[in-house]
Amino acid sequence: MKQCRTIFQDGDHRWLAIVRDPNRAGHVIDTNEYLIESGAESLLCDPGGIEIFPAVFSALCAETDPNRVRAIFASHQDPDIISSLALWLDFNPELKCYTSWLWASFLPHFGGTAETFASLPDEGASIRIGDLDLEAVPAHYLHSSGNFHLYDRGAKILFSGDVGAALLPPDQDDLYVKNFDQHIQYAAGFHRRWMGSNEAKRRWCERVAVLNIDMLCPQHGAIYQGEDVARFIDWFDQLTVGVV
Amino acid sequence: MNAPESFFQAAAGVSSESQLARIVRSNEEIKSIVATAFKINLMALNAIFLAKRAGTAALGFGVLSNELRRFAQDLTQQMALLREMTAESVTAVSSLMQQRRLDRILDLAVRACEGKEIAGLDVVMARAEAAFGEKFQRLRQFDKVLHRALESTGQLVELGGVLARSAKIEAAYGGQYSSSLMQVSTDFAEVIDQIKLSLEKLTRERLIKEGS
Repeated sequence: MKQCRTIFQDGDHRWLAIVRDPNRAGHVIDTNEYLIESGAESLLCDPGGIEIFPAVFSALCAETDPNRVRAIFASHQDPDIISSLALWLDFNPELKCYTSWLWASFLPHFGGTAETFASLPDEGASIRIGDLDLEAVPAHYLHSSGNFHLYDRGAKILFSGDVGAALLPPDQDDLYVKNFDQHIQYAAGFHRRWMGSNEAKRRWCERVAVLNIDMLCPQHGAIYQGEDVARFIDWFDQLTVGVV
Repeated sequence: MNAPESFFQAAAGVSSESQLARIVRSNEEIKSIVATAFKINLMALNAIFLAKRAGTAALGFGVLSNELRRFAQDLTQQMALLREMTAESVTAVSSLMQQRRLDRILDLAVRACEGKEIAGLDVVMARAEAAFGEKFQRLRQFDKVLHRALESTGQLVELGGVLARSAKIEAAYGGQYSSSLMQVSTDFAEVIDQIKLSLEKLTRERLIKEGS
Protein backbone atom coordinates (compact mmCIF):
# COMPACT_ATOMS: atom_id res chain seq x y z
CA MET A 1 0.00 0.00 0.00
CA LYS A 2 1.09 3.58 -0.64
CA GLN A 3 1.99 5.93 2.18
CA CYS A 4 0.04 9.08 2.83
CA ARG A 5 2.33 11.84 4.19
CA THR A 6 1.33 15.30 5.33
CA ILE A 7 3.72 17.76 3.68
CA PHE A 8 2.01 20.96 4.76
CA GLN A 9 -0.51 21.90 7.43
CA ASP A 10 -1.91 25.18 8.61
CA GLY A 11 -5.11 24.58 10.59
CA ASP A 12 -7.53 22.79 8.29
CA HIS A 13 -5.47 23.71 5.23
CA ARG A 14 -3.40 20.66 4.41
CA TRP A 15 -1.40 18.98 1.63
CA LEU A 16 -1.09 15.22 1.64
CA ALA A 17 1.36 13.35 -0.58
CA ILE A 18 0.41 9.80 -1.51
CA VAL A 19 3.67 8.16 -2.42
CA ARG A 20 5.89 5.08 -2.69
CA ASP A 21 4.03 1.81 -3.03
CA PRO A 22 6.34 -1.08 -2.07
CA ASN A 23 3.90 -3.53 -3.70
CA ARG A 24 3.77 -1.67 -7.00
CA ALA A 25 4.22 -3.87 -10.06
CA GLY A 26 7.61 -3.13 -11.62
CA HIS A 27 6.20 -2.50 -15.08
CA VAL A 28 3.97 0.34 -13.83
CA ILE A 29 5.66 3.75 -13.40
CA ASP A 30 5.67 5.09 -9.85
CA THR A 31 3.55 8.18 -9.33
CA ASN A 32 2.88 10.74 -6.61
CA GLU A 33 -0.63 11.92 -5.92
CA TYR A 34 -1.35 15.05 -3.88
CA LEU A 35 -4.48 15.91 -1.96
CA ILE A 36 -5.16 19.54 -1.09
CA GLU A 37 -7.60 19.96 1.78
CA SER A 38 -9.36 23.06 2.97
CA GLY A 39 -12.03 22.60 5.62
CA ALA A 40 -14.55 20.03 4.47
CA GLU A 41 -13.41 20.03 0.84
CA SER A 42 -10.45 18.63 -0.97
CA LEU A 43 -8.98 18.38 -4.45
CA LEU A 44 -6.89 15.48 -5.73
CA CYS A 45 -4.05 16.30 -8.11
CA ASP A 46 -3.38 13.72 -10.84
CA PRO A 47 -5.19 10.79 -9.16
CA GLY A 48 -3.18 8.24 -11.14
CA GLY A 49 -3.75 5.23 -13.31
CA ILE A 50 -6.58 2.74 -13.02
CA GLU A 51 -4.36 -0.12 -11.81
CA ILE A 52 -3.03 1.85 -8.83
CA PHE A 53 -6.46 3.07 -7.71
CA PRO A 54 -6.71 0.55 -4.81
CA ALA A 55 -3.32 1.68 -3.44
CA VAL A 56 -4.15 5.40 -3.75
CA PHE A 57 -7.69 5.06 -2.44
CA SER A 58 -6.73 3.00 0.60
CA ALA A 59 -3.80 5.30 1.48
CA LEU A 60 -6.08 8.31 1.20
CA CYS A 61 -8.75 6.62 3.33
CA ALA A 62 -6.18 5.93 6.02
CA GLU A 63 -5.61 9.65 6.48
CA THR A 64 -8.81 11.43 5.52
CA ASP A 65 -12.44 10.98 4.49
CA PRO A 66 -12.66 10.32 0.73
CA ASN A 67 -16.16 11.83 0.74
CA ARG A 68 -14.48 15.23 1.05
CA VAL A 69 -12.86 14.94 -2.37
CA ARG A 70 -14.90 17.36 -4.46
CA ALA A 71 -12.60 17.80 -7.42
CA ILE A 72 -9.84 16.25 -9.44
CA PHE A 73 -7.13 18.20 -11.18
CA ALA A 74 -5.70 16.48 -14.25
CA SER A 75 -2.50 18.22 -15.31
CA HIS A 76 -2.79 16.52 -18.68
CA GLN A 77 -4.27 13.50 -20.43
CA ASP A 78 -1.82 10.65 -19.85
CA PRO A 79 -3.11 7.30 -18.48
CA ASP A 80 -0.80 7.44 -15.43
CA ILE A 81 -2.42 10.78 -14.62
CA ILE A 82 -6.12 10.20 -14.97
CA SER A 83 -7.14 6.73 -16.20
CA SER A 84 -8.60 6.00 -12.73
CA LEU A 85 -11.23 8.73 -13.29
CA ALA A 86 -14.13 6.29 -13.73
CA LEU A 87 -13.43 4.73 -10.32
CA TRP A 88 -13.31 8.08 -8.54
CA LEU A 89 -16.59 8.91 -10.24
CA ASP A 90 -17.96 5.58 -9.06
CA PHE A 91 -17.27 6.78 -5.57
CA ASN A 92 -18.65 10.26 -6.14
CA PRO A 93 -20.52 10.87 -9.42
CA GLU A 94 -20.65 14.61 -8.64
CA LEU A 95 -16.86 15.06 -8.82
CA LYS A 96 -15.57 17.87 -11.02
CA CYS A 97 -12.52 17.21 -13.14
CA TYR A 98 -10.45 20.29 -14.01
CA THR A 99 -8.32 19.91 -17.11
CA SER A 100 -7.13 21.81 -20.17
CA TRP A 101 -9.90 22.56 -22.67
CA LEU A 102 -7.72 20.66 -25.12
CA TRP A 103 -8.40 17.37 -23.32
CA ALA A 104 -11.97 17.95 -22.17
CA SER A 105 -13.37 15.86 -25.00
CA PHE A 106 -10.62 13.22 -24.79
CA LEU A 107 -10.79 12.43 -21.08
CA PRO A 108 -14.41 11.17 -21.29
CA HIS A 109 -12.82 8.05 -22.82
CA PHE A 110 -11.70 7.35 -19.23
CA GLY A 111 -15.17 8.06 -17.84
CA GLY A 112 -17.48 10.88 -16.81
CA THR A 113 -20.32 12.82 -18.33
CA ALA A 114 -20.56 16.27 -19.92
CA GLU A 115 -21.10 17.66 -16.41
CA THR A 116 -17.90 16.09 -15.04
CA PHE A 117 -15.40 18.28 -16.88
CA ALA A 118 -14.48 21.87 -16.18
CA SER A 119 -12.30 23.12 -19.01
CA LEU A 120 -9.35 25.33 -18.18
CA PRO A 121 -8.54 28.05 -20.74
CA ASP A 122 -4.95 28.29 -22.02
CA GLU A 123 -4.16 31.28 -19.82
CA GLY A 124 -5.12 29.38 -16.65
CA ALA A 125 -7.86 29.88 -14.09
CA SER A 126 -8.63 29.89 -10.41
CA ILE A 127 -10.12 26.81 -8.75
CA ARG A 128 -12.05 27.26 -5.53
CA ILE A 129 -11.73 24.50 -2.93
CA GLY A 130 -12.95 25.24 0.58
CA ASP A 131 -11.41 28.62 1.46
CA LEU A 132 -8.66 28.30 -1.12
CA ASP A 133 -8.31 29.82 -4.54
CA LEU A 134 -5.87 27.50 -6.26
CA GLU A 135 -4.24 28.78 -9.44
CA ALA A 136 -3.97 26.63 -12.56
CA VAL A 137 -0.62 27.74 -14.01
CA PRO A 138 -0.04 27.19 -17.76
CA ALA A 139 2.69 24.67 -18.54
CA HIS A 140 1.79 23.87 -22.13
CA TYR A 141 4.15 21.58 -24.05
CA LEU A 142 5.75 20.48 -20.77
CA HIS A 143 5.25 17.80 -21.80
CA SER A 144 1.66 17.73 -23.02
CA SER A 145 0.39 20.32 -25.48
CA GLY A 146 -2.40 21.20 -23.04
CA ASN A 147 -0.75 21.15 -19.63
CA PHE A 148 -1.31 22.87 -16.28
CA HIS A 149 0.37 23.00 -12.90
CA LEU A 150 -1.42 24.01 -9.71
CA TYR A 151 -0.20 26.70 -7.35
CA ASP A 152 -1.38 27.12 -3.78
CA ARG A 153 -0.42 30.65 -2.78
CA GLY A 154 -1.26 30.05 0.89
CA ALA A 155 0.87 26.92 1.24
CA LYS A 156 3.50 28.20 -1.23
CA ILE A 157 3.41 24.86 -2.98
CA LEU A 158 3.47 24.27 -6.72
CA PHE A 159 2.20 20.94 -8.02
CA SER A 160 4.38 20.68 -11.12
CA GLY A 161 3.14 17.52 -12.86
CA ASP A 162 5.91 16.01 -14.96
CA VAL A 163 8.23 19.01 -14.52
CA GLY A 164 10.73 18.13 -11.82
CA ALA A 165 10.00 14.44 -12.24
CA ALA A 166 12.83 11.99 -11.64
CA LEU A 167 12.98 8.27 -12.29
CA LEU A 168 14.66 7.19 -9.09
CA PRO A 169 16.44 3.88 -8.54
CA PRO A 170 14.62 1.51 -6.16
CA ASP A 171 17.02 2.19 -3.27
CA GLN A 172 16.42 5.96 -3.38
CA ASP A 173 12.90 6.55 -2.21
CA ASP A 174 13.25 9.68 -0.06
CA LEU A 175 10.19 11.90 -0.17
CA TYR A 176 12.32 15.06 -0.42
CA VAL A 177 15.40 15.78 -2.51
CA LYS A 178 18.32 15.45 -0.12
CA ASN A 179 21.22 16.17 -2.42
CA PHE A 180 20.25 18.21 -5.49
CA ASP A 181 23.41 17.52 -7.51
CA GLN A 182 23.11 13.81 -6.99
CA HIS A 183 19.35 13.79 -7.55
CA ILE A 184 19.24 15.77 -10.77
CA GLN A 185 20.97 13.04 -12.81
CA TYR A 186 17.73 11.03 -12.48
CA ALA A 187 15.73 13.96 -13.83
CA ALA A 188 17.96 14.99 -16.73
CA GLY A 189 17.14 12.26 -19.26
CA PHE A 190 13.45 12.48 -18.47
CA HIS A 191 13.31 16.23 -19.07
CA ARG A 192 15.41 16.16 -22.24
CA ARG A 193 13.13 13.56 -23.78
CA TRP A 194 9.69 14.44 -22.43
CA MET A 195 9.78 18.23 -22.58
CA GLY A 196 9.25 19.17 -26.20
CA SER A 197 9.85 22.90 -26.46
CA ASN A 198 12.73 25.09 -25.27
CA GLU A 199 10.59 28.20 -25.78
CA ALA A 200 7.76 26.78 -23.67
CA LYS A 201 10.29 25.77 -21.03
CA ARG A 202 11.76 29.30 -20.91
CA ARG A 203 8.29 30.82 -20.51
CA TRP A 204 7.46 28.41 -17.71
CA CYS A 205 10.72 29.22 -15.89
CA GLU A 206 9.97 32.94 -16.12
CA ARG A 207 6.39 32.39 -14.95
CA VAL A 208 7.22 30.31 -11.87
CA ALA A 209 10.42 32.16 -10.92
CA VAL A 210 8.29 35.07 -9.69
CA LEU A 211 6.04 32.84 -7.58
CA ASN A 212 6.79 32.36 -3.91
CA ILE A 213 7.41 28.61 -3.78
CA ASP A 214 8.53 26.61 -0.76
CA MET A 215 7.88 23.21 -2.33
CA LEU A 216 7.81 22.03 -5.91
CA CYS A 217 5.92 18.73 -6.07
CA PRO A 218 6.34 16.60 -9.18
CA GLN A 219 4.20 13.62 -10.19
CA HIS A 220 7.21 11.26 -10.19
CA GLY A 221 10.21 11.22 -7.86
CA ALA A 222 11.07 13.45 -4.91
CA ILE A 223 9.82 16.86 -3.78
CA TYR A 224 12.10 19.92 -4.11
CA GLN A 225 11.99 22.26 -1.14
CA GLY A 226 13.61 25.47 0.01
CA GLU A 227 16.58 26.56 -2.09
CA ASP A 228 16.34 23.46 -4.25
CA VAL A 229 13.23 24.97 -5.88
CA ALA A 230 15.16 27.90 -7.40
CA ARG A 231 18.06 25.56 -8.09
CA PHE A 232 15.75 23.32 -10.08
CA ILE A 233 14.22 26.23 -12.04
CA ASP A 234 17.72 27.49 -12.95
CA TRP A 235 18.84 24.00 -13.93
CA PHE A 236 15.76 23.49 -16.08
CA ASP A 237 16.22 26.89 -17.71
CA GLN A 238 19.72 25.88 -18.81
CA LEU A 239 18.75 22.44 -20.06
CA THR A 240 18.28 21.84 -23.78
CA VAL A 241 15.09 19.84 -24.17
CA GLY A 242 13.26 18.16 -27.00
CA VAL A 243 16.15 15.87 -27.87
CA VAL A 244 16.60 12.11 -27.81
CA MET B 1 -16.48 -3.09 5.54
CA ASN B 2 -16.81 -6.26 3.51
CA ALA B 3 -17.63 -6.43 -0.18
CA PRO B 4 -20.88 -8.23 -0.97
CA GLU B 5 -19.34 -11.60 -1.85
CA SER B 6 -22.10 -12.89 -4.06
CA PHE B 7 -21.99 -9.88 -6.35
CA PHE B 8 -18.25 -9.92 -6.87
CA GLN B 9 -18.20 -13.68 -7.20
CA ALA B 10 -20.86 -13.34 -9.86
CA ALA B 11 -18.87 -10.59 -11.55
CA ALA B 12 -15.75 -12.75 -11.52
CA GLY B 13 -17.68 -15.71 -12.91
CA VAL B 14 -18.75 -13.93 -16.04
CA SER B 15 -15.97 -14.39 -18.52
CA SER B 16 -16.57 -11.48 -20.88
CA GLU B 17 -13.34 -12.20 -22.79
CA SER B 18 -14.61 -15.63 -23.78
CA GLN B 19 -17.97 -14.04 -24.65
CA LEU B 20 -16.15 -11.84 -27.11
CA ALA B 21 -14.43 -14.94 -28.52
CA ARG B 22 -17.87 -16.57 -28.87
CA ILE B 23 -19.16 -13.56 -30.77
CA VAL B 24 -16.19 -13.78 -33.13
CA ARG B 25 -16.87 -17.49 -33.69
CA SER B 26 -20.58 -16.78 -34.27
CA ASN B 27 -19.72 -14.11 -36.79
CA GLU B 28 -17.47 -16.54 -38.67
CA GLU B 29 -20.31 -19.10 -38.83
CA ILE B 30 -22.72 -16.42 -40.06
CA LYS B 31 -20.24 -15.45 -42.78
CA SER B 32 -19.95 -19.09 -43.79
CA ILE B 33 -23.76 -19.46 -44.00
CA VAL B 34 -24.05 -16.25 -46.05
CA ALA B 35 -21.44 -17.61 -48.49
CA THR B 36 -23.34 -20.89 -48.74
CA ALA B 37 -26.65 -19.09 -49.27
CA PHE B 38 -25.02 -17.21 -52.15
CA LYS B 39 -23.93 -20.59 -53.55
CA ILE B 40 -27.51 -21.96 -53.28
CA ASN B 41 -28.82 -18.90 -55.10
CA LEU B 42 -26.47 -19.56 -58.06
CA MET B 43 -27.20 -23.30 -57.97
CA ALA B 44 -30.94 -22.60 -57.99
CA LEU B 45 -30.55 -20.29 -60.99
CA ASN B 46 -28.71 -23.04 -62.90
CA ALA B 47 -31.37 -25.53 -61.81
CA ILE B 48 -34.12 -23.24 -63.16
CA PHE B 49 -32.39 -23.11 -66.58
CA LEU B 50 -31.86 -26.88 -66.53
CA ALA B 51 -35.53 -27.47 -65.67
CA LYS B 52 -36.57 -25.18 -68.54
CA ARG B 53 -34.42 -27.23 -70.93
CA ALA B 54 -35.91 -30.45 -69.57
CA GLY B 55 -39.39 -29.12 -70.42
CA THR B 56 -42.59 -30.63 -69.05
CA ALA B 57 -40.75 -33.63 -67.50
CA ALA B 58 -39.07 -31.23 -65.02
CA LEU B 59 -41.93 -28.83 -64.28
CA GLY B 60 -42.04 -29.86 -60.61
CA PHE B 61 -38.25 -29.57 -60.35
CA GLY B 62 -38.46 -26.07 -61.80
CA VAL B 63 -41.03 -24.99 -59.18
CA LEU B 64 -38.79 -26.38 -56.41
CA SER B 65 -35.72 -24.63 -57.84
CA ASN B 66 -37.62 -21.35 -57.70
CA GLU B 67 -38.54 -22.07 -54.09
CA LEU B 68 -34.91 -22.89 -53.27
CA ARG B 69 -33.84 -19.60 -54.79
CA ARG B 70 -36.36 -17.78 -52.63
CA PHE B 71 -35.10 -19.80 -49.66
CA ALA B 72 -31.52 -18.65 -50.37
CA GLN B 73 -32.68 -15.02 -50.47
CA ASP B 74 -34.65 -15.37 -47.21
CA LEU B 75 -31.65 -17.04 -45.58
CA THR B 76 -29.35 -14.21 -46.69
CA GLN B 77 -31.74 -11.66 -45.17
CA GLN B 78 -31.97 -13.65 -41.95
CA MET B 79 -28.18 -13.84 -41.77
CA ALA B 80 -27.88 -10.08 -42.29
CA LEU B 81 -30.20 -9.66 -39.31
CA LEU B 82 -28.13 -12.07 -37.21
CA ARG B 83 -24.93 -10.31 -38.20
CA GLU B 84 -26.41 -6.98 -37.13
CA MET B 85 -27.41 -8.54 -33.83
CA THR B 86 -23.95 -9.98 -33.18
CA ALA B 87 -22.43 -6.56 -33.93
CA GLU B 88 -24.77 -5.07 -31.30
CA SER B 89 -23.86 -7.82 -28.86
CA VAL B 90 -20.21 -6.67 -29.09
CA THR B 91 -21.38 -3.35 -27.59
CA ALA B 92 -23.25 -5.14 -24.78
CA VAL B 93 -20.30 -7.43 -24.00
CA SER B 94 -17.75 -4.58 -24.15
CA SER B 95 -19.84 -2.58 -21.71
CA LEU B 96 -19.99 -5.57 -19.35
CA MET B 97 -16.22 -6.10 -19.67
CA GLN B 98 -15.53 -2.49 -18.77
CA GLN B 99 -17.89 -2.70 -15.78
CA ARG B 100 -16.24 -5.94 -14.64
CA ARG B 101 -12.78 -4.37 -14.77
CA LEU B 102 -13.94 -1.38 -12.74
CA ASP B 103 -15.68 -3.68 -10.24
CA ARG B 104 -12.54 -5.79 -9.82
CA ILE B 105 -10.43 -2.73 -9.01
CA LEU B 106 -13.13 -1.25 -6.78
CA ASP B 107 -13.26 -4.57 -4.93
CA LEU B 108 -9.48 -4.44 -4.37
CA ALA B 109 -9.79 -0.87 -3.07
CA VAL B 110 -12.57 -1.83 -0.66
CA ARG B 111 -10.60 -4.82 0.62
CA ALA B 112 -7.52 -2.62 1.10
CA CYS B 113 -9.67 -0.37 3.34
CA GLU B 114 -10.99 -3.26 5.42
CA GLY B 115 -11.52 -2.34 9.05
CA LYS B 116 -12.07 1.35 8.31
CA GLU B 117 -15.51 2.89 8.42
CA ILE B 118 -15.92 4.89 5.23
CA ALA B 119 -19.24 6.64 4.87
CA GLY B 120 -20.96 6.06 1.57
CA LEU B 121 -18.96 2.99 0.59
CA ASP B 122 -22.03 0.77 0.82
CA VAL B 123 -23.82 3.14 -1.59
CA VAL B 124 -20.90 2.90 -4.02
CA MET B 125 -20.95 -0.90 -3.83
CA ALA B 126 -24.71 -0.99 -4.32
CA ARG B 127 -24.38 1.30 -7.32
CA ALA B 128 -21.65 -0.90 -8.82
CA GLU B 129 -23.78 -3.98 -8.22
CA ALA B 130 -26.79 -2.33 -9.86
CA ALA B 131 -24.73 -1.20 -12.87
CA PHE B 132 -23.28 -4.69 -13.31
CA GLY B 133 -26.72 -6.30 -12.85
CA GLU B 134 -28.28 -3.99 -15.41
CA LYS B 135 -25.59 -4.71 -18.01
CA PHE B 136 -25.73 -8.43 -17.28
CA GLN B 137 -29.53 -8.47 -17.69
CA ARG B 138 -29.25 -6.53 -20.95
CA LEU B 139 -26.84 -9.15 -22.26
CA ARG B 140 -29.09 -11.99 -21.09
CA GLN B 141 -32.04 -10.37 -22.87
CA PHE B 142 -29.95 -9.97 -25.98
CA ASP B 143 -28.92 -13.61 -25.81
CA LYS B 144 -32.60 -14.64 -25.72
CA VAL B 145 -33.49 -12.47 -28.73
CA LEU B 146 -30.50 -13.84 -30.62
CA HIS B 147 -31.59 -17.39 -29.89
CA ARG B 148 -35.14 -16.78 -30.96
CA ALA B 149 -33.75 -15.45 -34.25
CA LEU B 150 -31.60 -18.58 -34.55
CA GLU B 151 -34.62 -20.80 -33.92
CA SER B 152 -36.57 -19.16 -36.71
CA THR B 153 -33.50 -19.50 -38.96
CA GLY B 154 -33.46 -23.19 -38.02
CA GLN B 155 -37.07 -23.53 -39.19
CA LEU B 156 -36.18 -21.82 -42.46
CA VAL B 157 -33.27 -24.23 -43.00
CA GLU B 158 -35.58 -27.19 -42.24
CA LEU B 159 -37.80 -25.92 -45.05
CA GLY B 160 -34.71 -25.77 -47.28
CA GLY B 161 -33.99 -29.41 -46.39
CA VAL B 162 -37.53 -30.43 -47.33
CA LEU B 163 -37.22 -28.56 -50.65
CA ALA B 164 -33.91 -30.31 -51.40
CA ARG B 165 -35.43 -33.75 -50.65
CA SER B 166 -38.47 -32.97 -52.80
CA ALA B 167 -36.14 -31.84 -55.60
CA LYS B 168 -34.44 -35.25 -55.43
CA ILE B 169 -37.82 -36.99 -55.87
CA GLU B 170 -38.78 -34.68 -58.74
CA ALA B 171 -35.39 -35.34 -60.36
CA ALA B 172 -36.38 -39.01 -60.73
CA TYR B 173 -39.14 -37.89 -63.14
CA GLY B 174 -36.78 -35.84 -65.27
CA GLY B 175 -36.55 -38.23 -68.17
CA GLN B 176 -33.28 -37.89 -70.05
CA TYR B 177 -32.30 -35.04 -67.70
CA SER B 178 -32.87 -37.20 -64.65
CA SER B 179 -29.19 -37.79 -63.80
CA SER B 180 -28.29 -34.09 -64.23
CA LEU B 181 -31.26 -33.05 -62.09
CA MET B 182 -30.34 -35.72 -59.49
CA GLN B 183 -26.80 -34.32 -59.34
CA VAL B 184 -28.13 -30.79 -58.79
CA SER B 185 -30.60 -31.88 -56.09
CA THR B 186 -27.84 -33.89 -54.32
CA ASP B 187 -25.68 -30.74 -54.33
CA PHE B 188 -28.60 -28.81 -52.81
CA ALA B 189 -28.97 -31.39 -50.05
CA GLU B 190 -25.22 -31.26 -49.28
CA VAL B 191 -25.01 -27.49 -48.95
CA ILE B 192 -28.13 -27.40 -46.80
CA ASP B 193 -26.51 -30.01 -44.54
CA GLN B 194 -23.49 -27.68 -44.30
CA ILE B 195 -25.80 -24.84 -43.27
CA LYS B 196 -27.43 -27.05 -40.63
CA LEU B 197 -24.01 -27.84 -39.16
CA SER B 198 -23.07 -24.15 -39.02
CA LEU B 199 -26.41 -23.32 -37.46
CA GLU B 200 -25.93 -25.99 -34.78
CA LYS B 201 -22.55 -24.45 -33.94
CA LEU B 202 -24.16 -21.00 -33.81
CA THR B 203 -26.86 -22.26 -31.45
CA ARG B 204 -24.22 -23.64 -29.08
CA GLU B 205 -22.46 -20.23 -28.84
CA ARG B 206 -24.44 -18.59 -26.03
CA LEU B 207 -23.53 -15.13 -24.77
CA ILE B 208 -24.61 -16.14 -21.29
CA LYS B 209 -23.86 -19.57 -19.90
CA GLU B 210 -26.90 -21.63 -18.88
CA GLY B 211 -27.61 -21.22 -15.16
CA SER B 212 -25.54 -18.04 -14.70
